Amino acid sequence: MTRRLPRIGAHRRRSRRGDVIGIAVVALLMLALPLVASSSVINVGVYALIYALAALGLSLLMGLAGQVSLGQAGFFAIGAYTQAVLVTKYEWSGLPASVLAVAVTMTAALLVGLPLLRLRGHYLALATLGFGVIVTVLATESDFLGATSGIFGITKPEMNGRTYNSPTEYYLLLVPVVLLGLWLARNIVESRIGRALGAVNDSEVAAESLGVDTFRLRVQVFVLSAAYASVAGTAFAHWLGVINPNAANFPLSVKFLLMAVLGGVGSVYGAVVGAFAVEGLDDGLRRLIPELLPGAVGEVQLIGFGILLTTIMIFLPGGLHQLWTGARRRMAGDTSAPDPEDEGEARLEPVADDVPLLAREGRPAPGTPLLEVRGLTKRFGGVTAVDDFDLTVAAGEIVALIGPNGAGKTTAFNMISGAVTPTAGEVTMAGTRVEGRKPHVFARAGATRTFQNLQIFASATVLGNVMVGRHLRSRSGMLGAALVLPARREERAVEESARELLDLLGLGEDADRLAVDLPFGRQRLVEIARALALDPDLLLLDEPMAGLSGTERRELARLLRRLRAGGMAIVLVEHDVEAVLALADRVAVLEDGVRIALGTPDEVRHDPAVLAAYLGVEPEDGAATAVAEAGAP
Amino acid sequence: MSLEVRGLHAGYGRLAVLHGIDLTAGEGELVAVIGANGAGKSTLLRALSGLLPVTSGTVHLAGTDVTGYGPEKLARTGLAHVPENRLVFPSLSVADNLVLGGYTRRRGPASARKEARDRAMALFPRLEPRLEQAAGTLSGGEQQMLAIARGLMAQPRVLVLDEPSVGLAPRLVGEIFSALGKLRDDGLTLVVVEQNARAAFAVADRVSVMDRGRVVLEGDPAALSTDPRVSGGFLGGGFAADADATTEAAPATGATRAADRR
Amino acid sequence: MTDLLQLLFAGLSQGAVYALVAIGFVAIFTVSGVINLAQGEFAALAGLVAISAVGSGLPLLAAVVLAVVSVALVAVIMERLVIFPVKRMTTLVSLILTLGVSTGLKALMLLVYGPNAEGLTPLTPGGFSLGGVSIRYQELWILLIAGVVSLAVYWFYERTLAGKSLRACAEQPVAARLVGISLTKASLLSFLIAGTVGAIAGVLASPIYFTSWESGLTLGLKGFVAATLGGLISVRGAVLGGLLLGVLETLTAGYISTGLRDAVAFLLLIIVLVARPAGIFGRTAEARV
Repeated sequence: MTRRLPRIGAHRRRSRRGDVIGIAVVALLMLALPLVASSSVINVGVYALIYALAALGLSLLMGLAGQVSLGQAGFFAIGAYTQAVLVTKYEWSGLPASVLAVAVTMTAALLVGLPLLRLRGHYLALATLGFGVIVTVLATESDFLGATSGIFGITKPEMNGRTYNSPTEYYLLLVPVVLLGLWLARNIVESRIGRALGAVNDSEVAAESLGVDTFRLRVQVFVLSAAYASVAGTAFAHWLGVINPNAANFPLSVKFLLMAVLGGVGSVYGAVVGAFAVEGLDDGLRRLIPELLPGAVGEVQLIGFGILLTTIMIFLPGGLHQLWTGARRRMAGDTSAPDPEDEGEARLEPVADDVPLLAREGRPAPGTPLLEVRGLTKRFGGVTAVDDFDLTVAAGEIVALIGPNGAGKTTAFNMISGAVTPTAGEVTMAGTRVEGRKPHVFARAGATRTFQNLQIFASATVLGNVMVGRHLRSRSGMLGAALVLPARREERAVEESARELLDLLGLGEDADRLAVDLPFGRQRLVEIARALALDPDLLLLDEPMAGLSGTERRELARLLRRLRAGGMAIVLVEHDVEAVLALADRVAVLEDGVRIALGTPDEVRHDPAVLAAYLGVEPEDGAATAVAEAGAP
Repeated sequence: MSLEVRGLHAGYGRLAVLHGIDLTAGEGELVAVIGANGAGKSTLLRALSGLLPVTSGTVHLAGTDVTGYGPEKLARTGLAHVPENRLVFPSLSVADNLVLGGYTRRRGPASARKEARDRAMALFPRLEPRLEQAAGTLSGGEQQMLAIARGLMAQPRVLVLDEPSVGLAPRLVGEIFSALGKLRDDGLTLVVVEQNARAAFAVADRVSVMDRGRVVLEGDPAALSTDPRVSGGFLGGGFAADADATTEAAPATGATRAADRR
Repeated sequence: MTDLLQLLFAGLSQGAVYALVAIGFVAIFTVSGVINLAQGEFAALAGLVAISAVGSGLPLLAAVVLAVVSVALVAVIMERLVIFPVKRMTTLVSLILTLGVSTGLKALMLLVYGPNAEGLTPLTPGGFSLGGVSIRYQELWILLIAGVVSLAVYWFYERTLAGKSLRACAEQPVAARLVGISLTKASLLSFLIAGTVGAIAGVLASPIYFTSWESGLTLGLKGFVAATLGGLISVRGAVLGGLLLGVLETLTAGYISTGLRDAVAFLLLIIVLVARPAGIFGRTAEARV
């Protein structure tokens, strides 16, 4: 049993069909309800549909962006209040008012999100909770908004001479809205944006290094989630006819959360199922508990919510959706478990060393300086990890960075690629200053990296991993994705180019397997393929040889030579010194954060400081000199 | 045998990392495990000390089958693990770090605890004046010494160390390894995982070389250091191993082979 | 001037209650990374248990002890039932779990004790006036007991082996396991501390601020704000954060508007979180617990 919350789009292929079936089933059930149910049940259904929209927004926020909001009711209330003000005080009609209400809420979400989304995890959740409380307080304190009693007299909507004033009428008005909401949400989940956000959940630093601007995407999803809440809010205002500060209340935010979680955060239609389940339970418990316990008054149905939330989280973290996919998988007899003994080697196409690979138009001519590092320094507390490091890398060369463990190689890499902010110094990539900015800036400048401790996107397939690498080479945004049509062709092109790249690296057969199921060595190759998908001018590789077999190492070395021949610049940190000396055009040696040597492999091999650093001996030591002599080609 | 590992398989989730490791260490023996990054060395130690569940295979500690023990129980049974990157408790004083090192012996006689502490201080006299200092303010070398001393406070039968040389200047590496040699001479069993093959070869009684989750070579350091597979760098020897390698081994190194191909 | 002193005094006594709740957040968060959203309910439950015990004829002190012990027990049971079984505690999971417990406890209190707010009998009724500042004896009790409890908790973490082992779990969980400290026992102990301290806050606050099934929500949130002001990992920071928050709130209520009182706390929370995530007193690395 998985203990993590599943994420939207995790098993992409399966979920694509699963969601369509789920949405279809939900649509049928929703439409069937008015045919069979009594008016009071349909009344519950109206609230379920209204809340489903807000819960759907929250489900997107949690599933896509991995963020919990405890203030969804705040946006619900902003939408409802704006609608109420426009309709009652300015006599707007319902539809244009709701458009403005949604726009106002989205603007509010943007203003709230810009500072808040710099926070993570608990802090963000509790800050959104604080936001909800502030909305409640402001509504209570504002005379314009009717203080504690709120705004009255919001009429039921009228369209084409028809008034939607019975539960059934209103219910049928809402069903298409919810279906539209589901369809848009599903499209976004399946899009380039959804894929990038899934990657961010798995490894933010890796997604950033592939050019994904995580902050921007998070803000977008946050605003989108608020938009869903505000649509729900406007529908709520019209149905109830009155809106008061309770609409922003914490318990309502909890209810939205419960709906999203119960339905299953890993699915878009789950929020709708969850909404119906929770509203049904709410109504049922309200009737049931006072009968069982005669003295019980007030919100006693909360006890059911509490028990439900905890038991779901412990026993069914994927919600009802997990039951559904579990059942489907059992029926299909899924046997996708990996073969533990399967650790065959990736076979690269046997091509001569110097055939250029991935050359492309517009790449800087060999010898053009690409990366310039000046005086790069990092201090952690009192320790100087990297001290005044300089390096220039030109197009079409391989530069190696070597040094004993802990010499500061990876720290230098992290600073160059933007993952770590330097204490001092400059990094310029193709004319753009990148130090202290995020890795996606580095990626935009045409450079990316791999990681020593693999940062594979664990919930995606091998193909999905590589497709994230094409993020910057495709452009469909949230809106295009939601409307699907313009994005579809681009998606096909991205998938095609990703598959080509996988074939090139001998990973074609693994394309549709989950990346984490691959042996260690091949996961490294997936990372390299993913980086190459960016089509970079500069590639930083952190210990690419580690964990590879002898054959795989030779093949990788050949690949790197071919990339160099194609005009790419490559910087690699490597522990396997001999392999590096054979491969690199120039070698920089770090010791204790200081660059103690820079030169051709030959020069470095004979450098007394290098010998001392590696061997801890003075150069006149017989053995060391002997090695140096013998090692020279 | 103080430590006996047979057919050990372990991994992370569905990803198998160790494919049947055999490893033994007799009483008073210092065994070094070397290999490149990603060879599975740290995974081996994590499985040994119970941080990672064992998929199959057995681990015996001084004759007791400890397979499947959690780290807390293993610590009580007599295996102390000095983790990679030292992991001292930074805001606690050096003295408190040592006290916590003896956590499993907290109900034992105070005299035994004091003796363990005196021995650790004798081994690393540099720590003595810093006892009241917060451990986070120590230098890297001192933190490594503290991590080892903390491990010794548990009065273990077997001490396993994960990359004690990481990030240390060569002189400090020498100091740490000579301390390990002294512990061995006092009869403690040690298993040291290292990338710095040279340092490990200098003190080890026996060496196991790991590659991609398997022990591919095993033997005494003198014999292994001349083995071209070790000095060639593919198995994590790198430059460092070359220092101990004799000149006749060198022509087979990766560099020269690669040069031949060119 | 008298007004200011009056507000400051009222703020300190309110803040002392927040401080105790905040210590509970810190105790749990440092060990298991869980923000316990049921922390406020611990306080509310203790208040209600004590009130009903006094109502059924138990002497005040016995009622208080009963309340603290039973809430500590609830906290321990919560850890075993809800926190312990979860192997991978992510932020999402921990928030939803503790939110579930909080919601369940609230409803349980509503069922058992009904919807009305009540106040516990003060330890010493009445008060006196000092230079125009009116002081209730209960407020002095709050300050005194909160001070003693905070010092005791501080001493526990600084001086005892059990306290040090909790700090070890907070700082380096892997190393803590390797020296033989059981993380699950540590987590249980941290909930015991949080339950006890939260319950003490609840019985202290009840005579002045009253207790209802709902009062845990605000109290818990304020406690969280206080803990966050102090960096969320430091007992000292939590105490200072609680006092600061209490004073700021009463000053806002006194000089601006009573209604804005709650908004101020959360505005402060958001500003502090965005501007100084390590807390306003925080030096993250060194000030742990």
